[in-house]
Amino acid sequence: MSKRKVKEAHLPIGECISEVQRVLRERFCHQQLPERLEGVDSQYKHLLELLRRTAVHGESNSVLIVGPRGAGKTTLLNCALRELLEEKEVKRNLLQVYLNGLLQTDDKIALKEITRQLSLENVVGDKVFGSFAENLAFLLEALKKGDRSSSRPVLFVLDEFDLFAHHRNQTLLYNLLDVSQSAQTPVAVVGLTCRLDVLELLEKRVKSRFSHRQIHLLSGMTFPQYLQRVQTQLRLPDGFPDARFSHEWNGSVQTLCEDKSVEEVLQRHFNSSKDFRSLHMLLMLSVSRVSTANPAIRPADLLEASRMCSADPKANILHGLSILELCLIIAMKHLNDIYDGEPFNLQMVHNEFKKFLQRKSHSIYNFEQPVIMKAFEHLQQLELIRPVDASAAKTQREYQLMRLMLDQSQIMEALQKYPQCPTDVKQWAMSAFG
Amino acid sequence: MAALLQHPCYEEERLRRVADKLPCREVQAGTLLSVMGGPEQHSFPSIFIYGHRASGKSHVIHMLLRELELPHATVSCVECVSVALLFEQVLLSLFGCDAASLLPRSPSLSDFVRIYRQQCSHSPAVQTRYIVMEKAELLRDMDANLLPALLRLQELVQDNVTVILLSEIVWDKFRPNTGCFEPLQLHFPDYSKGELQQILAQDSHPSYSAELYSSYINILLGVFYSVCRDLRELRHLAALNFSKFCEPLEEGKVKESDTHKLWRNIEPHLKKAMQTVYLREVSSVQWEQLQQMEEKDTGAVRGLSAHAHVELPYYSKFLLIAAYLASYNPARTDKRFFVKHHGKVRKTNFLKKHEKTSNHLLGPKPFPLDRLLAIFYSVVDSRVAPTASIFSQISSLVTLQLLAQVGHDDQIDAPKYKCAVSLDFIRAISRTVNFDIVKYLYDFL
Amino acid sequence: MSTSSVSKGCFVFKPSAKKKKRTLDVGDYFIDGCEGSGNSELRFKLCQSLWDKMKTETEVLQDELNRKILDRLLEFAGRPSSTFQHGADDWAARMRASEIPTAALVLGVNVPDHDMTFQSLSDLLRQSVTPHVASVQAKECGALKHLMQRVLERLMGTVVSVDEEEEGDEEAEHASTQLHNKRVHCSLGTLCDWYKSKTKRSNNGTPNKKRSSHVRDEQPQPPVVIIFKDLEAFNPRVLQDFILICSRYVEHLPLMFIFGIATSPSTIQHILPHSVSSLLCIELFQSLSCTQHLSTVIDKLILTPQFPFKLSGKVLQVLVGIFLYHDFSVRNFIKGLQLSLLEHFHSQPLSVLCCRKKEALANVLQLSHQDLESVRQLPSFRRYVERQEPQEQVNLLTDDTHIKGVCQKLIKGLRKYHKNFYPILRCLHTLTSSLPKYPLGKQIRELYILCLEKNVWENEEYQSAMQLLRMLARDELVASLQTCAEILKPVKAKKMRNVLDQLEDLLAKFKQLDKVSGETAANGEEITSPEKGLQKKTDLFQLQKTLLEMKESRRSKKMSPFEILRNEAVDFIDSLVRCYLAPPESQPLNEVCYYSSSAVVRRHLNATPRTSIQTALSNPYHYLQNDTLRSEDGTVSNAAPDICIVHKLHLECGRLINLYDWLEAYATVVSAAEGTHPDSDEFGKVDELKHARFIQAVSELEFLGFIKSTKQKTDHVARLTWGGC
Repeated sequence: MSKRKVKEAHLPIGECISEVQRVLRERFCHQQLPERLEGVDSQYKHLLELLRRTAVHGESNSVLIVGPRGAGKTTLLNCALRELLEEKEVKRNLLQVYLNGLLQTDDKIALKEITRQLSLENVVGDKVFGSFAENLAFLLEALKKGDRSSSRPVLFVLDEFDLFAHHRNQTLLYNLLDVSQSAQTPVAVVGLTCRLDVLELLEKRVKSRFSHRQIHLLSGMTFPQYLQRVQTQLRLPDGFPDARFSHEWNGSVQTLCEDKSVEEVLQRHFNSSKDFRSLHMLLMLSVSRVSTANPAIRPADLLEASRMCSADPKANILHGLSILELCLIIAMKHLNDIYDGEPFNLQMVHNEFKKFLQRKSHSIYNFEQPVIMKAFEHLQQLELIRPVDASAAKTQREYQLMRLMLDQSQIMEALQKYPQCPTDVKQWAMSAFG
Repeated sequence: MAALLQHPCYEEERLRRVADKLPCREVQAGTLLSVMGGPEQHSFPSIFIYGHRASGKSHVIHMLLRELELPHATVSCVECVSVALLFEQVLLSLFGCDAASLLPRSPSLSDFVRIYRQQCSHSPAVQTRYIVMEKAELLRDMDANLLPALLRLQELVQDNVTVILLSEIVWDKFRPNTGCFEPLQLHFPDYSKGELQQILAQDSHPSYSAELYSSYINILLGVFYSVCRDLRELRHLAALNFSKFCEPLEEGKVKESDTHKLWRNIEPHLKKAMQTVYLREVSSVQWEQLQQMEEKDTGAVRGLSAHAHVELPYYSKFLLIAAYLASYNPARTDKRFFVKHHGKVRKTNFLKKHEKTSNHLLGPKPFPLDRLLAIFYSVVDSRVAPTASIFSQISSLVTLQLLAQVGHDDQIDAPKYKCAVSLDFIRAISRTVNFDIVKYLYDFL
Repeated sequence: MSTSSVSKGCFVFKPSAKKKKRTLDVGDYFIDGCEGSGNSELRFKLCQSLWDKMKTETEVLQDELNRKILDRLLEFAGRPSSTFQHGADDWAARMRASEIPTAALVLGVNVPDHDMTFQSLSDLLRQSVTPHVASVQAKECGALKHLMQRVLERLMGTVVSVDEEEEGDEEAEHASTQLHNKRVHCSLGTLCDWYKSKTKRSNNGTPNKKRSSHVRDEQPQPPVVIIFKDLEAFNPRVLQDFILICSRYVEHLPLMFIFGIATSPSTIQHILPHSVSSLLCIELFQSLSCTQHLSTVIDKLILTPQFPFKLSGKVLQVLVGIFLYHDFSVRNFIKGLQLSLLEHFHSQPLSVLCCRKKEALANVLQLSHQDLESVRQLPSFRRYVERQEPQEQVNLLTDDTHIKGVCQKLIKGLRKYHKNFYPILRCLHTLTSSLPKYPLGKQIRELYILCLEKNVWENEEYQSAMQLLRMLARDELVASLQTCAEILKPVKAKKMRNVLDQLEDLLAKFKQLDKVSGETAANGEEITSPEKGLQKKTDLFQLQKTLLEMKESRRSKKMSPFEILRNEAVDFIDSLVRCYLAPPESQPLNEVCYYSSSAVVRRHLNATPRTSIQTALSNPYHYLQNDTLRSEDGTVSNAAPDICIVHKLHLECGRLINLYDWLEAYATVVSAAEGTHPDSDEFGKVDELKHARFIQAVSELEFLGFIKSTKQKTDHVARLTWGGC
């Protein structure tokens, strides 16, 4: 790297690194739009066409973009909009309203939000409206330009569309879709949702007003494509200040993706999930390990990152328990084995534990009930065990029925990893009967 | 070691300063820092940090944020009895109180986001803003869509903001059923024995050498590590027993070098303390008193749990006994227990074979008031008039939580009760009125 | 008491506040209610004054009883709060820096008595330790929000009331600003700010508030004390959250908790999980048990000649019984005492004489003829008369002026009797309470009741006690005699004086006996040894056996000088008992001072709602006193009120009652009552009126909790009572 230092044409390595970090983080964390989408061209075209119809020809429309989380619904929409807005008069004309089911939890809030985003507060002032429909109609009316001939197209984006279906008798949806049906104002309603059954949520009158256009983002991606995507995601853009470095970087990425171990890791990830988000998380972690010391992503980084992503949290938690708590869990496991999966209470567990203690002559673990109780409480706090009915606050804690939230394998695995686990406890855990 | 904590965007010795304040957590701090990236760079929308109590989650976070002077807001979800408080605190510490005052009376999530957006449009983020949520598990009980919204707050407010959630509970328990934006999960593992040693040894007693203290900690861990790995508890125990440990030194019997003698001196005490680990029996002050007491009179350690005995009025005792019998004996056995000349109840059909699990495992069963009174009248020796005070004693037992009232507390249609005391407790009670309760308990036949 | 009071705690909660204004109409009630109304005003006045004396006495008592525990608590609170201030220098404090000091105050199950304790506690805290004290109850904070609100209000509110004006009103408007800014309600942060401002202000103490500031000068940061009055009743969830929140502020705010615990400290562990309890630094404070409390109260109020008013054995037994069997509430015991006092003055015309000596003598002269007649009726007086000469008897029965003189004499006698009675009683108790098996009772009150009932020396426990005394080891005997002497010293009565003298020289003899036995140590040894052995065994039967043996041996060989002396002493005690511990019945005019109608007290203090309802329903005559209702053999006449009839009918039914059949039966009965002829077709007809009456009666019955509507059959109701015909 010293030889790179002497060439002052290039930035010093540190700056390069931070630049890389900046660019890639932009990409992974901030959902910065890629130059071009791959794999979803048909959907893209379809959507773009629809939007253009509204924006340019003033047709009303309604469409649902359906796809699992992190499949790139928002990205798709935004890309389409980006292209659309490159046209001058669309940019001048088109009004956009973004609603999110998480935020606009009922129609009053939603309406206020719409008013705000259309910047019509002053127009509305303190008018009182009989119904939601009236209000919406007024808003759209107010959008008409000076000459009453044509009115500006409005694009409604409803993120988390399914949540809107839970509003009281779906007034918002009804009205929006109704407007989109009747040809008064050109309106495009775009719903984003991850629920494939979203249409079942709609009332009949609402459903009937919805043009049953759905765009599905179910990526049937193959592994090679996946690898390809990884590469493109990691590749530095051409506009990178230090050409040499970027070239090296891209080369290293290339080699990285050919590495066997890396491929295995990616394969595993591919099998678990194909969406962008989890991939981004993985890449993000591995990129974050890049530093001046190691100016490129090494396979080790990726492995480490994947280890972090795919660690079993419950096992981690079990690792930190005290022996006493561990013993209780083992006792519960035995109880589960004996009365196959019937709920248990502290007394039974304690009883089981006592049996174990009796078999051993001397033991440091024979604690009083209160101590056992505390351990039990802690397990409950960690939600490793959960009461059968939460309502049973009246009953004493030692008799409250519980279920174990772990399975055999997790317990055993944890036992193996457990530091300084006494052998007798291990054997007890292994033994078939309590 | 401090090499773990390095980042191009921060100068070395500053990071070293931070690292010194985070003993045995350099690794975690390092990964966290690398994930957070440089102050100007974008960071992952939401990070979920989990780990056991006293594994330094919030400590590390706060150290990093404070020492590196990053803009951040810290909220403890316990304190937020309403979402309004939560929003308020966030806005307050990110944008100052005038922003907080913009919130309407009972703000909705959308209000919060709106205000946040307009605020950060006024003052766009040069550095990543961090929102730290302690005890995040409580967010689940708050508002169905609060947690998902927070997880993707960055996207919602279009600002370079990162939400960091701290919790003892694993992420799987958080995930709403329709799924949500998956946060980046970081695990803070519990301290290893060596690390515990290192940390605990840091707060050494001013009037003793550090070596002595660390050797003391060594002994302590040797005894307790198997049963207790909670740093906080261990520190408490250390504070509790240290004076005892030093006694021979004070008296000049032993010199610091002779660790073996010291060990033999302290060991029994630690063993005793182990019986009551986790229950904060006594404050350190009283602990010392107790230790001295023991030298004089050989009374066992009388902590909180030792005072189990409760003074009760005579009839209350019998009411309690009756309640206990009523809730642990099957109703059909009452005849045999309490009717003086019960007919020939044959042992075979009286003791049902199939019910092998004793009621003392299953816990008390609810019983109606009448049954309680019937048993009461038959167990109490003298003849008792059903006076008002008898009835009010029952309800006072309920308020003292010795009885538990099941279902609605409507006096007119017969209320049901449960006895809420342990066997030892009731034994002690019945001993005071010399009533042999075990003879009347179905489980002990 | 109605069934609704069952839902209250086991102890009657009486609002003590409205006592003052009630006294007025009470007076009127008293006067017109009582018989022998001649001197009722006077009696009422006496009653009031006497009660006031007793009340003040009890209050003083309460204070000094609580004194000890309260002082310890104050010391605990005053301790420079270890968590907070100088953590740096003190290692232990630094180690506990994150813990909130907490006092677990165990008060026993007699809940109503606690209020006074907490009241005085918080007052003392305010005076001596810190102005910032807030006490909360479970029922006023169901949710965390409310708890917070209460605490903040109380803390800030108290400060307003405590401090000076200009500060006060600025505090006020400070508070008002908080009121319409809703954030401030439930966040502890505001409390911190407020506290900072307070302490800052009070540290640069302006001269106009010396009083409030000089306390803080030596202690710059007074702790903020929060008292949880009834820990058991709190919702655990709320408490846990509150503590968690508080612990976040512990370095800004010197918090301190006081838990009021009724049952046992281990409830803390039940309520709080380790994650929370590890934030506290708990210390335990045990208040003295309520039985001890009671015995001191009895000691001060009853076992003293100070108050002329006395309870008879039965009444005392009732009161003590209620205390021991039902509630451990000293407060209620005192209330019972008050009640019996009132009853006494209300029912007994001669209670005018139940007052201090001078007034009593004066009042004797005021007695009207009819009063004197009632004096002559008094059984004790009769007995007295019979013991006199014939001539004297005539005088007593005829001559009013003479009898007045005699009465004065007798009153004086009565006072002397009391003066001597109690010291001797105590002496006897000190002697016997150390004996194995407590033949005369462990508590002095038991002995007292014995003495009130009949001549103590006649029951065999006393005999056995005496015999045990006769074989007491020397040191013990001497010790207890010493204490007796101590008891007798303060007493002024001349009789007691020379009793004391006798006792003194007895002791002197024991002393010189020591010298003597100094030479003859040997035989002294072997004599005293068997008694030593005897002290060990506590089995009474064994005791008797050894007793007999001792007798044998005593007859056989001559007694040692010590034994002689010991017998002498015991005989002396015995003589004292026989002379001074005669039961009050033996005293003429004792009715004046002794209140004896225990039934009344029991009826008032230990009501039996169910039985009274039963009687009302099954035997209406008992309350209505209407001769048409008089009925023998427990049958209800058909003229009785509807509810009685309905009740009677429902007794004949089973678990489920068919409403229509019931109505039919009712109609028959009622029409019989109306006198319609049995075979007229009107008979047993159900018209609207009957129907309405029936429905009303049934709903009344339901309200009383005898029946309830049931899901099983719509046209039936279920019986909630068992038994019946």
